[in-house]
Amino acid sequence: MADCSLDLPGSSSPPSHLSLLRSWDHRRVPPCPALQGTPLSATLSLVMSQCCRKIKDTVQKLASDHKDIHSSVSRVGKAIDRNFDSEICGVVSDAVWDAREQQQQILQMAIVEHLYQQGMLSVAEELCQESTLNVDLDFKQPFLELNRILEALHEQDLGPALEWAVSHRQRLLELNSSLEFKLHRLHFIRLLAGGPAKQLEALSYARHFQPFARLHQREIQVMMGSLVYLRLGLEKSPYCHLLDSSHWAEICETFTRDACSLLGLSVESPLSVSFASGCVALPVLMNIKAVIEQRQCTGVWNHKDELPIEIELGMKCWYHSVFACPILRQQTSDSNPPIKLICGHVISRDALNKLINGGKLKCPYCPMEQNPADGKRIIF
Amino acid sequence: MAVQESAAQLSMTLKVQEYPTLKVPYETLNKRFRAAQKNIDRETSHVTMVVAELEKTLSGCPAVDSVVSLLDGVVEKLSVLKRKAVESIQAEDESAKLCKRRIEHLKEHSSDQPAAASVWKRKRMDRMMVEHLLRCGYYNTAVKLARQSGIEDLVNIEMFLTAKEVEESLERRETATCLAWCHDNKSRLRKMKTCKKALQPSRREPAGRGAPGHGHAGLPARHAHLPVQAPESGVRLHRLPWFFLLLTLCILSDLLDPARWRMLIQQFRYDNYRLHQLGNNSVFTLTLQAGLSAIKTPQCYKEDGSSKSPDCPVCSRSLNKLAQPLPMAHCANSRLVCKISGDVMNENNPPMMLPNGYVYGYNSLLSIRQDDKVVCPRTKEVFHFSQAEKVYIM
Repeated sequence: MADCSLDLPGSSSPPSHLSLLRSWDHRRVPPCPALQGTPLSATLSLVMSQCCRKIKDTVQKLASDHKDIHSSVSRVGKAIDRNFDSEICGVVSDAVWDAREQQQQILQMAIVEHLYQQGMLSVAEELCQESTLNVDLDFKQPFLELNRILEALHEQDLGPALEWAVSHRQRLLELNSSLEFKLHRLHFIRLLAGGPAKQLEALSYARHFQPFARLHQREIQVMMGSLVYLRLGLEKSPYCHLLDSSHWAEICETFTRDACSLLGLSVESPLSVSFASGCVALPVLMNIKAVIEQRQCTGVWNHKDELPIEIELGMKCWYHSVFACPILRQQTSDSNPPIKLICGHVISRDALNKLINGGKLKCPYCPMEQNPADGKRIIF
Repeated sequence: MAVQESAAQLSMTLKVQEYPTLKVPYETLNKRFRAAQKNIDRETSHVTMVVAELEKTLSGCPAVDSVVSLLDGVVEKLSVLKRKAVESIQAEDESAKLCKRRIEHLKEHSSDQPAAASVWKRKRMDRMMVEHLLRCGYYNTAVKLARQSGIEDLVNIEMFLTAKEVEESLERRETATCLAWCHDNKSRLRKMKTCKKALQPSRREPAGRGAPGHGHAGLPARHAHLPVQAPESGVRLHRLPWFFLLLTLCILSDLLDPARWRMLIQQFRYDNYRLHQLGNNSVFTLTLQAGLSAIKTPQCYKEDGSSKSPDCPVCSRSLNKLAQPLPMAHCANSRLVCKISGDVMNENNPPMMLPNGYVYGYNSLLSIRQDDKVVCPRTKEVFHFSQAEKVYIM
């Protein structure tokens, strides 16, 4: 006779369904031949009917409990639809880059350059292979070396980095970089972490600090002071912050920054700056597009050469001078250059022409009268 | 970081960019939930049926062996129910956990520590790049980048790999995988608005060529003989529920030229995006376009290249070409940057004009002053320091 032990589920969440299913035990015992043909006893019959009822109830409960989850699942979907925009409108028509096959190639090239700068060399190689792009070796070379040093730093091997720092010592000093000192410091701290056994080695290594004594006096004092706690263990001393693993992350960053300055590169690749500025610009542009459509004044963004609204990216993104005429509130261009009046105020040429009254010009910001021809074109 | 993004700005950007990140795993969860419910309902009904039979037998005066055999049946059905339910619920659980992981990751954007915030931003760029690379078809690169950046479960790799299999089979002119995909997603495909348009009969294929019973069960036979449109009459194929087109293609596959297969692949791609509620362009492309526009100025495109700045992204080689067809940034307020030092010229560093009309910052002029003379870096003319006049910018 088969033996079923049933456990009714306590709660209605899926994991309890699993536990319910796991507790079902369906061992089978083959029927004894002697019992065949004999009628079932009344008690057994009763037990069996009870079992049947239990089975039916349990499976029905399983199905209905699972169905109850449906409302939660659909609520998730509705929350996503409510809180996120399902469509992004482009700044220009969608196909502005698709239409030119070359543009796609250029974009892949930009991505490859970005990957090299970020140090993801294997990914860059793979992309070159898949998109059949060719990158010149002399572009790659400095990145290959930097990457080698960075990988060593990630494995806490300071050797290559120190070599590099020593060979570029002069230029690093011009940059006011403390890279070499920091590398020596990390090595010293690592020796300290080795415990009292490394004490002598640490002390003799400390001689490397001598050239930096003037600039980094305080830090050298701290490190020398920590030697006191060497026997007790640095972890429990006031100097435990020296053992912080964030120093390693910091040294990688310092190295990257200084190396990029030496190479004349910005730390962030042009692609990441553009992408970051896009992240700022995109919601602003979508907002204004929605407002334009709502107020039905699509003529405002007809001027496809310029965005309809200014995007604030912060002062670090001011790479070029932009002069906006204070009167006409427009950018100046080659056909409409900025003109400096005699009094020193600057307006655009179109504004100047508009202000001419009877051959004379009065500056809008000070009461000085002057000849229009005296205005001098300036170049920022 | 060069671009300043406040927490409020980050939230706004999240709202605009992250719909695909959450919607795709949610749709998978929904699909698995419905499949689980269907399985459970079906097996439950089987169990109920067998138990009812057992109860009926018990109500009479049964013999032991008949009861035993019925019980065996019940046990078998119960074990099938258990197995299927466990599988389905585990699949659901996995989907739900994936959704949860992604939501947790997105929540980290508002972390207080600046280091964590910059790591999140870097991951965001990597995520968008992976999705862009997947759309372009560079699958190996995308998978490698995802693995290296640690964002494997934050990007929709599986969806694109499934699509890749279908596309590759279509390129080999095999329709089996694609039809299987249609069948798998038929309920959602039906919900999408695919309207049928009457097509002109093709001149190449004789009308009524398709035989209704070509062995593709599940597709209604009355649509069997849809003729394929002649290529000269333009592409209106996108209006057709293209899986019916597929049926015709199966029949006529050796008569069709590669162009139609390419169109079909393209159509499949767009419909796959629509099915998952994605747009036709990657979020990365749209964001990049917006960003390049916001930085682009006329100085980046001067013909003589004299006003290019080494830091400006749009002045860099590749991005310069990319940004050409895009609109320029709008500036309502002047912002002046000294050409020598790159510093801002304002009341702390007033702009000074040399007699040749070129303007530099006062501090920079001080730094290049030698013996009371300055040399204009752009024209190499030499002037007296006192000849520099202050310029007033309103």
